[in-house]
Amino acid sequence: MTYAQGQQEGRKRIRLGLFNFKEGGMDLTFLILVFLLLTIGLVMLFSASYADAFVRRGGDSFYFISRQLIFAVIGIVAMLAISTFNYKVLERFAYLILAITVFLLIVVVLYGFVVGGGRSRRWIDLGFITFQPSEIAKFALVILFARMINANYDQMHTFRRGIFPFLMAMGLLAGLMMLQPHLSGTLIILSIGAIMMVIGGANLKWFGLAAIAGAVLLGLVVMIPGVISYATVRIEYWQHPELDPRGHGFQILQSLYAIGSGGLMGTGIGMSRQKYLYLPEPQNDYIFSIVAEELGFVGASLILLLFALLVWRGFVIAMRCRDRFGSLVAVGLTTQVGIQTLLNIMVVTNTIPSTGISLPFFSYGGTALCMLLAQMGVVLSISRQTTMEKA
Amino acid sequence: MTSNAYTHKITTSKMRGRMLIIMLGIFTVGFGLLIYRLFYLQVINGEEYQRMALQQQTRSITLGANRGSIYDTNGNILAQSATVWNVCVSPAQLDMESFDTAAAALAEILDVEKSFILEQAADRGSYYKRIKRRIERELMDRVDEYIIQNKVPGVFFEEDTRRYYKYGSLASTLLGFTNADNQGAYGLEARYESILAGTPGVEVSAKNARGQEMSRMFSQRYEARDGNSIVLTIDESIQHFLERHLHTAVVEHNIKARASGIVMDVKTGAVIAMATKPDFDPNDPYTLSPADQSILDEGFEPGTEEYQKKRTELWYGQWRNKAISDPYEPGSVFKIVTAAAAVDSRKVSLNDHFYCSGVVDVSGVEIHCWRRTGHGQQDFTTGMQNSCNPVFIALGQRMGGPALFNYMQNFGLHSRTGIDLPGEANSIYMPLNLLSKEGMVELSSTSFGQSTKLTPIQMITAASAAVNGGKLMQPYLLKQVLDPAGNVLSTTQPVMRRQVISEEASSTVRGLVEAVVADGSGRHSAIPGFRIGGKTGTSQKLDQEGDEHILSFVGFVPMEDPQYAVLVMLDEPYLPGETAYGSTIAAPVVGAIITDMLHYAGYEPQFTEQQLAEREVSVPDLMGEKPHEAQAKLTSLSLQTRIIGMGGTVIRQIPLSQSVMPKGGTVFLYTDEEDLRDDIIVPVLVGLSAMEANRLLTDSGLNVKLEGTILDGVPMVVTEQWPLPGTQAGTGDIVVITLQQAD
Repeated sequence: MTYAQGQQEGRKRIRLGLFNFKEGGMDLTFLILVFLLLTIGLVMLFSASYADAFVRRGGDSFYFISRQLIFAVIGIVAMLAISTFNYKVLERFAYLILAITVFLLIVVVLYGFVVGGGRSRRWIDLGFITFQPSEIAKFALVILFARMINANYDQMHTFRRGIFPFLMAMGLLAGLMMLQPHLSGTLIILSIGAIMMVIGGANLKWFGLAAIAGAVLLGLVVMIPGVISYATVRIEYWQHPELDPRGHGFQILQSLYAIGSGGLMGTGIGMSRQKYLYLPEPQNDYIFSIVAEELGFVGASLILLLFALLVWRGFVIAMRCRDRFGSLVAVGLTTQVGIQTLLNIMVVTNTIPSTGISLPFFSYGGTALCMLLAQMGVVLSISRQTTMEKA
Repeated sequence: MTSNAYTHKITTSKMRGRMLIIMLGIFTVGFGLLIYRLFYLQVINGEEYQRMALQQQTRSITLGANRGSIYDTNGNILAQSATVWNVCVSPAQLDMESFDTAAAALAEILDVEKSFILEQAADRGSYYKRIKRRIERELMDRVDEYIIQNKVPGVFFEEDTRRYYKYGSLASTLLGFTNADNQGAYGLEARYESILAGTPGVEVSAKNARGQEMSRMFSQRYEARDGNSIVLTIDESIQHFLERHLHTAVVEHNIKARASGIVMDVKTGAVIAMATKPDFDPNDPYTLSPADQSILDEGFEPGTEEYQKKRTELWYGQWRNKAISDPYEPGSVFKIVTAAAAVDSRKVSLNDHFYCSGVVDVSGVEIHCWRRTGHGQQDFTTGMQNSCNPVFIALGQRMGGPALFNYMQNFGLHSRTGIDLPGEANSIYMPLNLLSKEGMVELSSTSFGQSTKLTPIQMITAASAAVNGGKLMQPYLLKQVLDPAGNVLSTTQPVMRRQVISEEASSTVRGLVEAVVADGSGRHSAIPGFRIGGKTGTSQKLDQEGDEHILSFVGFVPMEDPQYAVLVMLDEPYLPGETAYGSTIAAPVVGAIITDMLHYAGYEPQFTEQQLAEREVSVPDLMGEKPHEAQAKLTSLSLQTRIIGMGGTVIRQIPLSQSVMPKGGTVFLYTDEEDLRDDIIVPVLVGLSAMEANRLLTDSGLNVKLEGTILDGVPMVVTEQWPLPGTQAGTGDIVVITLQQAD
């Protein structure tokens, strides 16, 4: 396989299909942002987790950070390696990846295990490693949609080509995830899918119609007896967590105490008090509360700014990429990080009702971190293709 | 697909446009909103969340400040705090399965309901529940032993303090008591709360969600500052005399509405003793007397609102300090004020003559003298001795309403004295317009002590001013404030409020009150060998139905240079006969108090030649008499009296009746069986002075008989004694001593 495009633009290229080295190299800004977020994330993970680890992991304060560090190293190696791969091979494997994902999603419903106190089967244990197929599903969706849009680009404005197949694919993945059930994962899948469809040129009126249909559907669901009271209760506790400070409102109240305690400048790194067993599992979804407590509004905002810059840089890479498939993959993967960050912080700040979403680069989770870094490697690989202004 | 197929698939500008819109529309807006949300939570509402977070994160341990002590004027401790312990449980740390046995054991040791302990332990989210307050060391050791032996987790002790009143009910209405939180609730404890309490310290430390200490760096300690101590003007011994005799009076005369008394330093206004009987034990202020308890139990159903109300009423009844809180009718005691005013305004002289027919016509209203048959011709001193009403009506008319009103005001009878005790009441008096009315009925009744209600403290303060040279002093109880180390921080200086009458007029009043005791209505308070002054008072409770009386007496001693004023007020005694007056009932009580005081203060009797001429008397039979009445009989025989015990009748007298003993000797009157002793060891007396020997014997409960010639103004020493030293003797036995002139 040759890459005529690259040759047409007069770039030196090693004629090795799988790898993709180029003179200008990858996007250093994006790489630096990834390293910055990862470093801060690891420091904060240690700070947030050591007290909890000491008590709950038999006196081992380093329990979480040591494991996360190992995966971070593996992830970095993977990211750098993948950044040299030619991402275009992914287009060919799109359906294979989808098939593996579907298989894993079925396996997890049948044989997956539950973590924590929840009821959802989300994890697969391979003996030496555990992982969530949902993480793979997000990646699979991005690759699949990029390929589908790329193939049908001219007919994206039609329902038959531009909407229907996408709905089917999303429906399949979302449906399987709801069997776990995994509401937040589903939500992210739908968001990424919708954003990619919009960028891919889908007719916006269908989104309007979808919104109306969603509203009608919501109305019908509300008519089911018991739903209203269930929903009212959830909304009540969301808006007034102080009504049940030891039960439903406990976690979010503890999160707000932590964030509020941070004030403008924070209590100082390592000086959080809420991490001393008040905030449940401070190393997981709610890690940002501890970050906000220790670093204050200034530090927390700077971290949000870094995330925003990463998203901006991801989009810049996508816009600069002449290759439609690459551009779409970059948008999809960047969107995934961005959406997940937004939703996570909305949850910990009680802007939306609580649901389990981890914070990229920060939350504890080895395989998820590896996946994330690998995906960042893909974006970096795409960045090597950006040619517009750099030519 | 061929590789060419990819090469044509390029990113279109439409895609780039939509990317830009998504980036700005979703992510820029999204991150922007989140930053605003953080600003709202951390900067705008940060303090509120921080406050709530700190509330759960910090544990503040109160470091108790020791409450200061209360001392009497000689440094005896009247009230003192000591460390005790509260037993607490931490339900979150309890092992509920095994705790049931422990709860049963704790319930038994601590004498609390097991169900109560389990109820406290049921709150599993809590780390602190008190199950028993204020146990002493011994009990705490037992609990400690149990929890260590049985390895019970989650039970701990908390230090607390308890107030101890060493002398029980002594000065209880004065001292008051502290509440469950160790704060002064009543009396001086409440009045000087700010001095006694001190400032509790606090240690704030951060705890994790399991209640364990987080780290030293979050800990802050503010030390407690102990309270200061106060020294009172009260003399524990004199307080004891006052209370003992008030108690006897209550028993012997079956007094219904309590008896009250005050001993005041005439020159400074310092209160040396103040009591109301019956009272309560401040160690346990909520326990009612058996009589009150039976009133409650018989008349009311426990648990009802009426029961609670009645109980509260009875509580306040026993706590009430009548000496400052209850205005009473002083009756003729008030005549001291009228006399002082008339003498000072020169409306009367000692030579003036008055005639009492037993009734006076005042503007058509007949006013009777207390003696219906009249006192006939009398000079002013005799009129005072007789407490003759028409004499004082005449004095009032000579002065006129406004002048008397003015003197009363200057004597402090129209306002609170400002004594440093909570709950002082004001007087009830005839207003100026009524007192100045033409008819003069009101003026007349006011002049001889009716129509006015004064608190005992107002009465004694005014009476003191009348005899101390005319100075109205500010009565007070706080002598000194001491810091926790015992250094004097401040000393109260006596405050003279005003010169009410002249020194000369005061001297005249002194002569009048001494005449009253020497040969007038106050003679039952006389003590052989001492110059005492006083004034009796008998009054009917005019504002109350029925025939209830208040008997009172104010005495002054020694009249050479008055030092103490003693007021006794008996509210509603049981009076079977017509003979019951302040003169016969209240005066002997004051006499008895003064006897003990003078003995305690080291005054020695001075006998007149006439008294010495007739050296020996025969002791009368006093068995079965009321102690203070028996004392009056002995007094008239120039014998001294010591009343021993708390009973209402004399059950034994020593020496026995018909015994012959020297004048000025002491007859012991026993009212309780257990006070009788027959194991007194006769002390060594040879070589001592006559005074020292007498004192030593009286203190041991023995009597003295002198042999040999006593020469006035010549120092004498004991040369012989019988029985010999070391002999066993019974209470009241006579020891004969021989005196010779010292070398």
